[in-house]
Amino acid sequence: MRNGGHSNGYLVTGLLIGLALGLVYAWVLVPVELIDTSPQSLRADFQDDYRALVAAAFVASGDLGRARARLALLNDPDPARTLAMLAQRTLAEGGPADTARALGLLAAALGSGGLPPEATSHETPPPETPGAATAAATPSATLDAPASGTPDAGPTGRPTRTVTPTPTRTPTPTQGPPFQLQERAPVCDPNLDPALIQVFVFDAAGAPVPGVEVLVTWAGGQDTFFTGLKPEFGLGYADFQMSAGVVYTLQLAAGGDPVPNLSPSSDCPPAEDGRAVPGSWRLVFRQP
Amino acid sequence: MRYALFFLAIAAGVGLGLFYGWVVSPVQLVDTAPSSLRADFKADYALMVAESYEVQPDLNLAARRLAQLGGHPLDTVQAAAAFAVQVGYDPRDLALLRDLAEALKAYNPALESGGTPTP
Repeated sequence: MRNGGHSNGYLVTGLLIGLALGLVYAWVLVPVELIDTSPQSLRADFQDDYRALVAAAFVASGDLGRARARLALLNDPDPARTLAMLAQRTLAEGGPADTARALGLLAAALGSGGLPPEATSHETPPPETPGAATAAATPSATLDAPASGTPDAGPTGRPTRTVTPTPTRTPTPTQGPPFQLQERAPVCDPNLDPALIQVFVFDAAGAPVPGVEVLVTWAGGQDTFFTGLKPEFGLGYADFQMSAGVVYTLQLAAGGDPVPNLSPSSDCPPAEDGRAVPGSWRLVFRQP
Repeated sequence: MRYALFFLAIAAGVGLGLFYGWVVSPVQLVDTAPSSLRADFKADYALMVAESYEVQPDLNLAARRLAQLGGHPLDTVQAAAAFAVQVGYDPRDLALLRDLAEALKAYNPALESGGTPTP
């Protein structure tokens, strides 16, 4: 019994020493090096920077396919929602309005499965990297759908983008005549507490328009927001939370008449549970 | 015989340790910085900066974005351009990288930000 215990003892001791040596070697002496990483492994704030950069590039090129391929590298299950939330956070934190707008436009484009109105589409398939199994955003591996035949083969034998006219660089959401207020209606919804100014923007064809800048002013302050940052409510939708006792004036930055005297209404009937319902406003703008 | 078994046990332990450290529970690649990105991702990152710069020619902004990749912004763009040539980027993308590199050659952060250049 004692002999058996001794033999087990030195074997276990040897195993443990070896295990410790192996772990020291694997974790300390030769750990996995942090090189050749992918965007997916970036720290959360760097991933947000990456998303903002993808959105900025999208606004510049109008290439949704490329933007989609780049965002896919982050393995985000719902990139449109993530972008919309990031856009709202950017605005809430006082970040650059351009960045928020770009994020909102890309979120809207992804949410709709296409580009916002008047943003020229320049679809490209997901990129490839030669010799790598993992997808990499190598833009020249993309191709525009040629009218016929197969895409051109590049120097590496991979398909390269066929030279096509440069797309519209800035997908400005609206052009032509300014939007006009078509409907101004009070909304008594117990679920809207605090009260909101709900803005819906449509183009002449009745399609919702994302990326429209909305300016709200009140005594002593102002704020700016954009349509399309909440794609779950529609690409042309935006809202603003009102405070009791404050009177707001709303105007689309693109022009048009201001909408004055907006404040939480007290005319709504109480909710079923007896709770007071602050009145919201529904504003619908449309291009003539 | 006992020593042989002892060293054999150590060797087995080393093997187990390496298997655990490299396969079962390797160092996790999380919370990395853009500077650790693979070359092709870096090149695409630089291209995104160049695409954005084309419509918003703000060198400070471009340099700040490129600085996240580590090193001097000009070196970063030139490295990206070299990679782009190597793997056959679209000519338009190459032109964007070249334009940004040219702009960065004359880039002086102090002058761009309106500050006073340091001697």
